[in-house]
Amino acid sequence: MALYLLYETSSGYSLFLANGLDEIGQNTEAVRNSVSDLNRFGKVAQLTAFLPFESALDALNQCNSVSEGIMTDELRNFLELNLPKVKGGKKVKFSLGVAEPKIGSHIFEVTKIPCQSNEFVHELLRGVRLHFERFIKDLKSGDLEKAQLGLGHSYSRAKVKFNVNRVDNMVIQAIFLLDTLDKDVNSFAMRVREWYSWHFPELAKIVNDNYLYAKLAKFIDDKSKLSEDKLPELTDILGDEDKAKEVVEAAKASMGQDLSPIDLINVQQFAQRVMDLSEYRKKLHEYLITKMNDIAPNLASLIGEIVGARLISHAGSLTNLAKCPSSTLQILGAEKALFRALKTRGNTPKYGLIFHSSFIGRASARNKGRMARYLANKCSIASRIDCFSESGTTVFGEKLREQVEERLDFYDKGVAPRKNIDVMKAAIGSAENKDTAMETEEAPAVTPAKKSKKKKSKSDTAENGEAEDTEDKPVVNGVAAEDAKSEKKKKKEKRKLEQEPAVEKSNGTNGVDTDEQGGTAKKKKTKSKDQDRKELQDASDMKKKRKKSKSEE
Amino acid sequence: MSRGLAADHGRGASRTHNNAGRGGRGGGAFRAQNNAGRGGRGGGAFRAQNIAGRGGRGGGAFRAQNIAGRGLGVRGRGRGGGRGGANGRGGMRGGNKAVIIPHRHEGVFIAKSKDDALVTKSMVPGDSVYNEKRISVQNEDGAKVEYRVWNPFRSKLGAAIQEGIDNIWIAPGARVLYLGAASGTSVSHVSDIVGPTGVVYAVEFSQRSGRDLVNMAKKRANVIPIIEDARHPSKYRMLVGMVDVIFSDVAQPDQARILALNAAYFLKTGGHFVLSIKANCIDSTLPAGKVYDSEVDRLRADLLKPAEMVTLDRFERDHACVVGSYRVPKKQKTAA
Repeated sequence: MALYLLYETSSGYSLFLANGLDEIGQNTEAVRNSVSDLNRFGKVAQLTAFLPFESALDALNQCNSVSEGIMTDELRNFLELNLPKVKGGKKVKFSLGVAEPKIGSHIFEVTKIPCQSNEFVHELLRGVRLHFERFIKDLKSGDLEKAQLGLGHSYSRAKVKFNVNRVDNMVIQAIFLLDTLDKDVNSFAMRVREWYSWHFPELAKIVNDNYLYAKLAKFIDDKSKLSEDKLPELTDILGDEDKAKEVVEAAKASMGQDLSPIDLINVQQFAQRVMDLSEYRKKLHEYLITKMNDIAPNLASLIGEIVGARLISHAGSLTNLAKCPSSTLQILGAEKALFRALKTRGNTPKYGLIFHSSFIGRASARNKGRMARYLANKCSIASRIDCFSESGTTVFGEKLREQVEERLDFYDKGVAPRKNIDVMKAAIGSAENKDTAMETEEAPAVTPAKKSKKKKSKSDTAENGEAEDTEDKPVVNGVAAEDAKSEKKKKKEKRKLEQEPAVEKSNGTNGVDTDEQGGTAKKKKTKSKDQDRKELQDASDMKKKRKKSKSEE
Repeated sequence: MSRGLAADHGRGASRTHNNAGRGGRGGGAFRAQNNAGRGGRGGGAFRAQNIAGRGGRGGGAFRAQNIAGRGLGVRGRGRGGGRGGANGRGGMRGGNKAVIIPHRHEGVFIAKSKDDALVTKSMVPGDSVYNEKRISVQNEDGAKVEYRVWNPFRSKLGAAIQEGIDNIWIAPGARVLYLGAASGTSVSHVSDIVGPTGVVYAVEFSQRSGRDLVNMAKKRANVIPIIEDARHPSKYRMLVGMVDVIFSDVAQPDQARILALNAAYFLKTGGHFVLSIKANCIDSTLPAGKVYDSEVDRLRADLLKPAEMVTLDRFERDHACVVGSYRVPKKQKTAA
């Protein structure tokens, strides 16, 4: 009875015929000995067919099916084409060896080809895997590795849901280009001014804006041809009739030399270049804004796109920015001052790139440092949400922005800001409202959850009251997020199940870690924050529930 | 032994940055010269010397030095300078000149300056995978070679090398299957060692770490990321060829079985394996020594023959590293 072998590779499917080995004595030892030597193995197994994959997409599909143990149509066609026909009723005189029984049973179900998957087959497949390159003449060495690399990457990217649109490299490159462009456009504009001023010096003093100057230079061309009838167009360009008249007057009494037509053409072309670059810079700016809203919407809505993009590019990537602590984010961009201060034991800088956001400017001098720290904290939260959340909502960014505004007000006027827990709950609520279009379902669902928590809090008020509070102090934000995330879990049954265990686990570890830190926190603060006790109880109970469930596992 | 070290330093007295005498060459002749100086004391002694050189400072100091060096984790991109010397090019402390000498293991190097560090030659110069320090040296023909510092506290393989393991079997041109790749910090060093002629198949199940792994693999063409459960090698059998070495750092209670399954699929006859055992994860009630012994027994049952074991006590608690071979052919008794 002939034994065929199905061997799947990154380049395609292959079929081998194993012979020379007695079927009754399916001796794995014998196979092992023969495997190491190519000549001997070549007698044991011969290549009968090879089907290369048509495209990278096809290869990915096949790989996914093979990993699930499912036979695809292409595999089926390949097998039916190259194996002897299976006639119904008659005993089948061959068998197909496969690496895994699941795919074997599927093949048998559909095509009635008997499959086997035992140690004997495994040994043979080991031999095939070792010597595969020699069997296929067309495959040069390294081809198979390239195929594996490509297929491995696409398979893994599909697994981690690698979204091409959310690549932060674009933003980093765009912001670099923006800076370079600014410098270049400025140098070129200066050059145009110098050059054209040889012909018409007064214009440089009348028109200050670079872009307008270039436009004018292109339009006016030869100043001797400038006359009153060009006035309406001049006004259009300049937007100001008086200026236009000034220009015309200056042109008549100008001290500049005349230029030949060729020279004028050159200046014109250059002026055109400057205008094009200026317009390109505008478009790039818009592109950057769009990209920032794609990959980091919360960060963009909190501190603005440009500052956000600078932060991302300085950290290296959005993930790096999310990983670094908020104190680092606060002084990103002021490293020289930071390390100088650390070396000389002076005062470290209070803000780095963050300084360019509007909030710091609006704070009074005394509070700039405090606002910088607060803003850096919120930016950290926003960047982490952006990096690790799947949905692209800007709700959190806006809520965080409101919080920063409130804090600014607090410093200015003493208006007490809202509690962080409330803001975050509202944010999560509205984030979910956006997700599910069923708004009415949300409201009743939220209240029972809250009620159940309040009941628990009343019963647990006595025990561990103080301890829980102190633990919660440093963890208020984290627990609030955990809090809401547990609510999310109850509602989002259908959606993104795989995310939840990861979220659950990370929240659990967060809770445990901060517990250990919080245990040593100061206990003095509990007395001053009595009104927080209730809300913190709610939060602590969710944590306790989760801790209990973790200990049960 | 410390005198021996001083002697080495004396030889490389001209410890300038453009030290043509040393530099990142690692060629055969050069290694011979070094080994002659060391070999005189024997292989074992060489291992001990390494430990003395590092142990003298104690684990804590070494760790602190690396943390200080990590700075802000920026990748050397800056707008208009202002880099405060945090990610200094030379040596462990910013601004220090370092001398690179090859390690006993091929593809691994040692950077000698005020402190010693294990380094590998970076395949992607200018890039830090996990904010490790990088050392740039210029060799004779003026080309700049960059080396990345290998932190033994973060990498079990690095720790095993520092503890003086005899043979890691991961050499330039090798094909390695790395189970438990996590975010790719150790994988990057393995990829540096095997070089462009070798291949590293990095298997990691977790999605978060997998994302970092895929990002790291984008820059290194010899790393193939596989986000799949190592318990089921049949699922990724299409992506992997036959390998020479399996490195396993999965920290699962059934890791011996996982290693055996993967070896049955992918490890060549006469291939080798390097397994990192975390005693707490196998059985937290037994003492570590007993756990290691039981793991070794389990390995033997599956044709995985252990050759040596080192405990990584200086770097991790209750961890050990076992190296062995697979399906060693029985030595035929020569007929008299």
